[in-house]
Amino acid sequence: MAVTTQARRGSPLDVLRRFAQRLPVHVALIFFALLWSIPTIALLLSSFREPGDVVTSGWWNAITHPLDLSLSNYEDVLNTRDMDRAFINSLIITVPSTFFVVLVAAFAAYAFAWMQFPGRNALFIVMVGLLVVPLQMTLIPVLRLYTDLTIDVDMPILGGRVFGTNSYIGIWMAHAAYGLPFAIYLLRNFFGSLPRDILESAYIDGASDAGIFFRLIIPLSMPAIAALTIFQFLWVWNDLLVSLILLGDPELAPMTLKVSSLVSSFGTQYQLLTAAAFISMALPLVIFFALQRYFVQGILAGSVKG
Amino acid sequence: MIGRRWWTPWIWLSPALVLLTVFLFYPVVNTFVTSFMDADSAGGIWDLIDDPDKFVGLDNYEFIIDNPRPLVSNTHAALYNNGLWLILFTGLTVPVGLLFAVLAARVRYEAVAKSAIFIPMAISFVAASVIWRFMYEFNPDVGTVNAVKTELGSASTAWLQDRGSPQTPFVDAGPDSAWGPLQVNNFALILVGVWMWAGFAMVVLSAGLKGISTEVLEAARVDGAGEWYIFRRIILPILSPTIVVVATTLVIQALKKFDLVWVMTGGRAETDVVATLFFTEAFRQGEFGRGAALAVVLLAWVVPIMVISIRRFQFQEETR
Amino acid sequence: MAEVRFENVTKDFGGERPAVKDFDLQIADKEFLVLVGPSGCGKSTTLRMLAGLEEITSGRIYIGDRLVNDVAAKDRDIAMVFQSYALYPHMSVFDNMAFGLKLRKVKKDEIRNRVEVAARTLGIEELLKRKPRALSGGQRQRVALGRAIVRSPAVFLFDEPLSNLDAKLRVQTRAEISKLHLRLGTTFVYVTHDQVEAMTMATRIVVMKDGLIQQVGTPSELYDYPTNMFVAGFIGSPSMNFFEGTVMKDDGGLFLDLPGFQLPLPPERAPDIEARAGKPIVAGVRPENIHAREYTPPGTRTAEFESEVEVAELLGNETIAHLSIGEETFLARLDPRVQARPGEKLPLAIDIERVQIFDRESEERLGEAKPTTKPA
Repeated sequence: MAVTTQARRGSPLDVLRRFAQRLPVHVALIFFALLWSIPTIALLLSSFREPGDVVTSGWWNAITHPLDLSLSNYEDVLNTRDMDRAFINSLIITVPSTFFVVLVAAFAAYAFAWMQFPGRNALFIVMVGLLVVPLQMTLIPVLRLYTDLTIDVDMPILGGRVFGTNSYIGIWMAHAAYGLPFAIYLLRNFFGSLPRDILESAYIDGASDAGIFFRLIIPLSMPAIAALTIFQFLWVWNDLLVSLILLGDPELAPMTLKVSSLVSSFGTQYQLLTAAAFISMALPLVIFFALQRYFVQGILAGSVKG
Repeated sequence: MIGRRWWTPWIWLSPALVLLTVFLFYPVVNTFVTSFMDADSAGGIWDLIDDPDKFVGLDNYEFIIDNPRPLVSNTHAALYNNGLWLILFTGLTVPVGLLFAVLAARVRYEAVAKSAIFIPMAISFVAASVIWRFMYEFNPDVGTVNAVKTELGSASTAWLQDRGSPQTPFVDAGPDSAWGPLQVNNFALILVGVWMWAGFAMVVLSAGLKGISTEVLEAARVDGAGEWYIFRRIILPILSPTIVVVATTLVIQALKKFDLVWVMTGGRAETDVVATLFFTEAFRQGEFGRGAALAVVLLAWVVPIMVISIRRFQFQEETR
Repeated sequence: MAEVRFENVTKDFGGERPAVKDFDLQIADKEFLVLVGPSGCGKSTTLRMLAGLEEITSGRIYIGDRLVNDVAAKDRDIAMVFQSYALYPHMSVFDNMAFGLKLRKVKKDEIRNRVEVAARTLGIEELLKRKPRALSGGQRQRVALGRAIVRSPAVFLFDEPLSNLDAKLRVQTRAEISKLHLRLGTTFVYVTHDQVEAMTMATRIVVMKDGLIQQVGTPSELYDYPTNMFVAGFIGSPSMNFFEGTVMKDDGGLFLDLPGFQLPLPPERAPDIEARAGKPIVAGVRPENIHAREYTPPGTRTAEFESEVEVAELLGNETIAHLSIGEETFLARLDPRVQARPGEKLPLAIDIERVQIFDRESEERLGEAKPTTKPA
């Protein structure tokens, strides 16, 4: 009988053995994770360096000379280049757009998932098709529509440009519309996967369609809604093309537009660009870290075993 | 359900339908019409009604095919580059994403590792462009990639301008250079795309991986299958619908690519893609008709994807 | 009054045949009615039509005196317990049970009261604050029951509620549901594919197959007087053995000529069968009516023959023997003292008074066998 070094589960030898088996995995994973993070780290570090340093020496030097860091780039970019205004603009554009998309898509997805009506399948198929339509196909007519339909209202607080080019409502609606195919597709699939019995039970219990929607479907779909919200938020926040075309006024420009114009004006002044870029990234990164758990978590076991 | 009024579903659908019609259906039709019109036709159908002379038939398409002004608007380069993006971008991102998903699933710090890869997705293409312009900077004292390259002994490359020593359809690099399909600068751009989207592929594939019941894998292990065999014969087939989903999304991204190219190179040095060319033509040159035609070309490329996803969707429905 | 009436109800999904066809049934108030049958027989569909979850293609359903064809489920005064319990995962047990009441705008105190009473009845008072995922299968089942009880409906509907429970729990819960029925005194309509559940709980059973009612009757009626081969074979476990054969007549009277053996018929059965002399029939013999010759209960009139034992399953209280005669195999439930070893020939005695006879073509029962469930 051969003697085997079979380590018992949980014993130090066993732990070490399993770690050794996994070592290549660990190495590979950590290597890639670092590799992937380097560009972002480079940006971050550079943004804190003195203008002179950035263009003369590699950013890695910053690690060895931590005391040469400064916030001057940020001051410059925020105060003189209007990045602060751009930040607020990005917020104003993104938050309502995200909200509208999720709301409108949820309503429609509910109908697609759980109601019968003539043409349901055909309509959904058309929508699935719309998923892939490139924005370019739609922008010229939409721009024209907006220029024709520009509405200005002369009112104290709510006044100003109500609709059309350079209007907030205009851009909200555009972003909401562009986000719909994906949102409806995602939510409809999720809603459809909810156990039918739960909905039937609620129906027998006396819930109306709206009741089922708000009391059951939405609470049970939070992971999908969270995921959608993140996607949509990032999508709108990071959008360039739509703002470029529908929003010409620099006062209203979101950060993407701002950074883009900085690049074309100051192509090699990396100290400015890195700071500006980082500001535009800050919020998405925060949101990503905060909500990531949501969409990694998934739905927990419900009323049915397994 | 008994008792539901016939108009109820339509009420739930109406906001979406209105938005979709105004911003998607109507414009698509209109752009299509505009592609057959001449330069000053932003209004599409309406302009045509006002002034039927604007109709120029297939002129814009001919322009795209003939490429009469390659120095200003190189349509061939744009089309070719889009093709490159399609193949390389998708072809690299999916395996990379899958690799990460599989690797990360085996460690306890999975969530952290995945975040690191996923972060680039959170940033805008514009910010990414800044990051990578910085990375690709020619001067090895500034540009990280070239710094590494010079450390390793070779000369630094102008990643974003270099049309590549291999001879490509667009660059005559001299009689001694070999023909290669890829210009260095295009490749550099595509790499940035992969950097950004690998995280997406990873997250989706990771969710797909988790959906594979452990019992199936355990049964295979008990049967004596090795890890690689399990991967190839069990995991991949079960994942294939997910892979298709990821791949189709990436293909769409590749075709739509605008921001990245625009900010990094502005389409110069033959890195133009159809989307950037569209913008230049329509909004810088005022050639709305040509712009529309380019947009239609994009749509045409996308149609097969549309068909695939619709077919797949219908198949899924049957098995629901 | 919570009687339920089905008049000629049909449900067609557009497939090859209707899922339910011409379903006609009157359910009296306080009955425990069980719909039983194999998968696809239409029992669940029928229940769902009663609940209001499926549209009725044709026919009428009445609850009480009300025609409910077009009435929404919530207005039919019914409650339903689903196979998968259908508990709302994000709500506590209390909220799950209170859901329907809240929707009907019942006062808070009243809700609390009703929920607590129901919880006490089912023994789940301690679980009220928990969420479904923290409960075992049996507990979830009770919450599902509780949710239905709280509504005080006119009719309770059950869609295979025990199918997801393990065997032991199932036996226990069966008894509890029966007790619940007695306690609440409300009409129960219950769907299952398990004939044991049907036999043990029902006041009346409806056996269904391929969308049609095969027989309606009390458990005892179904056991002793099955209308056709399907019902005979469906009710009782292990199922009835069937032998194809012919009716023959000779000087001794009528007998059944079956492959490998013959069964004389008791004279009192002659009148029903006489006309069939020479015709093909199927004889049905329940395993419990085949005895080892040694241990035949006294007073049984039997026909004797021998058979080879293929497998003997010793259960302790009885032995189930798989026997063969010629090409046929059949089962017998034997006294546990019998020594039945595989390969041996065992002397057997069949209770000829309890043999069922069916027409081979129509599969309908001919004549009547002596009942088992009635006193002699």
